[in-house]
Amino acid sequence: MAAVTGEMSWFCCGSAWGPCGTTGGGACGTCKSGNYQHAWPNASDACWSITRPDTCGMSLSRRTCGFRHYTTNLCSGLRVGTTIADCGPQTDLWCGERSCCGSACGTNRIIDLTPAAYSAIASLSTGLRPVSVDIV
Amino acid sequence: MNQSLNRRRLLATAALGGLVGATGLGSLAPEAAFAAEAVTVEPGAPDPNFAEGRISKVSGNMLLVTGSDTVLHSIRITNGTSIWKLHPTTFDQVAVGDGLYARGVRLPDGTLAADSVWVNIVNLHAHIASVGRNMLHLDHKGQRIVAHVVPGRSAAVYNGTPAVSDMSLLRVGRHVQVLGAWHPDTNEISIATVYAAA
Repeated sequence: MAAVTGEMSWFCCGSAWGPCGTTGGGACGTCKSGNYQHAWPNASDACWSITRPDTCGMSLSRRTCGFRHYTTNLCSGLRVGTTIADCGPQTDLWCGERSCCGSACGTNRIIDLTPAAYSAIASLSTGLRPVSVDIV
Repeated sequence: MNQSLNRRRLLATAALGGLVGATGLGSLAPEAAFAAEAVTVEPGAPDPNFAEGRISKVSGNMLLVTGSDTVLHSIRITNGTSIWKLHPTTFDQVAVGDGLYARGVRLPDGTLAADSVWVNIVNLHAHIASVGRNMLHLDHKGQRIVAHVVPGRSAAVYNGTPAVSDMSLLRVGRHVQVLGAWHPDTNEISIATVYAAA
């Protein structure tokens, strides 16, 4: 799979405080905010039927629980490796959304990282960043 | 040695020495402080240089935090620590009961010397149930969240366009992502940025 360019955000999972307290271990049952994990829009048939990145013209490969992706923040060049622990983001709700850092841009939401993983490559207060996602 | 490692070593040295004064690093904005991280963590594994939970005690420049998994964390704040609580702020604004995420360097005694602390930060995906004066009512995973607009701080991003203070384009039923600060022990938050699709 060639690297895919798009947008990343972050989400909490596992034991948590505040509004995050209602979340659980994610679709894979293993998700924890403090682990290097992520949500992927094509983690299963059921997942795909919800996230529908194809409606935004994106063809993301089927990758299941535990699969490793490597995400590079296009604003900083920092990179983090994570495993699939949940289904998401819901790409179809954000078709065409674009984030840029100068000339480095990402269009459409393709990955959500846990707070631990996101904060390794970006500040949590940024909320959204352009990224490239690869498997090596 | 690269700049990140230099900064981490300086921060750790400052924390070990109990320095409250300048670390030699200066105070960094939250958007920049994350760049200090250089640890290698196996994909899927917990990050030893990251902590989350709620503050149970503030003592000097230390935060005692009870993790959501009941693990206890001691987090040391230095002058080099960036603190976010709806906006970049100072240590005196941090209180017992606040939730947090923290990133830094884990010291040999188990203390986390913090580079960055995000206090009460939430990033919610929700639907707008209703719009009131300076507030949004959100449906978030079956729960109602009251999101307050903070004049001069809250911003809206409509489909990737530059952030604006005008919230008037937000509509009931629309999906939004809301980055904000939780009001501890309530179902309320203050809005930093609300992202809305076109």
